[in-house]
Amino acid sequence: MLAMKKLFMITVLVVPMIVGAQDFDKNLASARTAYGAGKLEDARFAMEQMLRDLDIAIGKEIVKMLPVKLGTLDYIAKADNVTGGSGSITGLFVHREYGMQPKSGSIEIMNNSPMISSLSAMLSNPIMGGMMRDENQKQIKVQGYKSLLTKSVNAETGKTNYELQVPMNNTLLTMRMDDTTEGEITTLANSIPLAKIAQIAQ
Amino acid sequence: MKSYHAFVLTAALALSITTTSHAQVLNKLKNKGDQKASEAIDKLFSGKDKNKNQTQGQTGSTDQTGTGGPSGGSSGNSSGSSGHPSNNSGGGLISTPPDVKQNLSDAETSYKAASYGEARYALQQAMLGVELEIGNQILKSLPETISGLKKNEEDDQVTSTGAGWAGLTIQRIYHDDKEKELTVTIANNAMWMSAVNMYFTSGGYAQTNGGQQNWKQTKVKGNRAIIEYNEGSGYKLSVPLGQSSLIVYEGVNFATEPDMIKAAEAIDIDGIKKMLGEQ
Repeated sequence: MLAMKKLFMITVLVVPMIVGAQDFDKNLASARTAYGAGKLEDARFAMEQMLRDLDIAIGKEIVKMLPVKLGTLDYIAKADNVTGGSGSITGLFVHREYGMQPKSGSIEIMNNSPMISSLSAMLSNPIMGGMMRDENQKQIKVQGYKSLLTKSVNAETGKTNYELQVPMNNTLLTMRMDDTTEGEITTLANSIPLAKIAQIAQ
Repeated sequence: MKSYHAFVLTAALALSITTTSHAQVLNKLKNKGDQKASEAIDKLFSGKDKNKNQTQGQTGSTDQTGTGGPSGGSSGNSSGSSGHPSNNSGGGLISTPPDVKQNLSDAETSYKAASYGEARYALQQAMLGVELEIGNQILKSLPETISGLKKNEEDDQVTSTGAGWAGLTIQRIYHDDKEKELTVTIANNAMWMSAVNMYFTSGGYAQTNGGQQNWKQTKVKGNRAIIEYNEGSGYKLSVPLGQSSLIVYEGVNFATEPDMIKAAEAIDIDGIKKMLGEQ
């Protein structure tokens, strides 16, 4: 039974990586052939696909770093989502969900998010921060990263939900959690290896 | 005696107030005087040397600091008013496009070593190299003259970020050394393209200027286009190409709309489409 479980895990984890590597190699060969033949636009297209393959590979590495439990909430394996966005505005995108309604949570990592510049300006500039002040928002530090914590109350259940946004260079990590406290979401955020994620996502 | 003491005290107090209120003014005057004196002395004793050093600096001499050294303030010969030396040598940045084949090999090596960040960087450099090559090919395909206007090779520009969404931009300017000018910009940029497409898809943009038509749809060599006119900037013609590219012509001092269209037709639009991989 244990051997079967191991085999299953190997299949689940390794096979997609091999498929990803094959795509990268295939697109690399296409790029080289097209470039050698002077078909520059075809070479560029193949390289765009390679960038997407790379983003997916990076996303899979990041997913491994995310916690499997968010407090008492278990992660939902089938909801894990990793996409590469070469050719679109955003690049890498990683999404993981935890728990079920009414208490659920999620972690998202996105490169080149449109939110990043306004969020960073707000966090680094006291004038901007003052102008955009909201009584439900608070600036905190998570592992040394200036972050924005936003509180909201669910009108139906009356429970308090929190969203934490941590900008790290061009990567934005967003953590959401229902029915929680500031202390709990901050503690959970501190368990995520932010510096490692920022490093690999660049 | 008492009145004498009171008088001395009052006088001292008045003097102290006057002194305090004028201290800053006096100080400023003193500083000004010192500065002028210093300049005069510098001029008297080192004027010749300063001029000599400045000439040497312009011809590549390493002695650019004059008598005052690198932080010598106003006495430094190549220093600006802030006291820092100003740059008057150096060859600028090397503008060689990235080596595509080398960067592809680097990307492969890094990918195999699971250094994905490095692989992505190398790949982006390779893409940058390819985009610059595409841009230069397109520039070569553009005519030498359009409607009697000559190209200005120094203004030729190919800009790429190596990231598909931000795009590739190619620009050439034609002019007649007087006041007539045509700027041709070819952009492979999905966001810009979608903005132009709004004109075609949204009827709300039609006739919104109280009967005065500042833009309209037209065709250039069979391609749908938008032509705009502004009294300050002249004609602007935008021709979308395929899915994510477009050509923008900006004509200053073109007499009529047909003149502008004729100038636009001098460019091989189908050839550019092909080079950009558009259908």
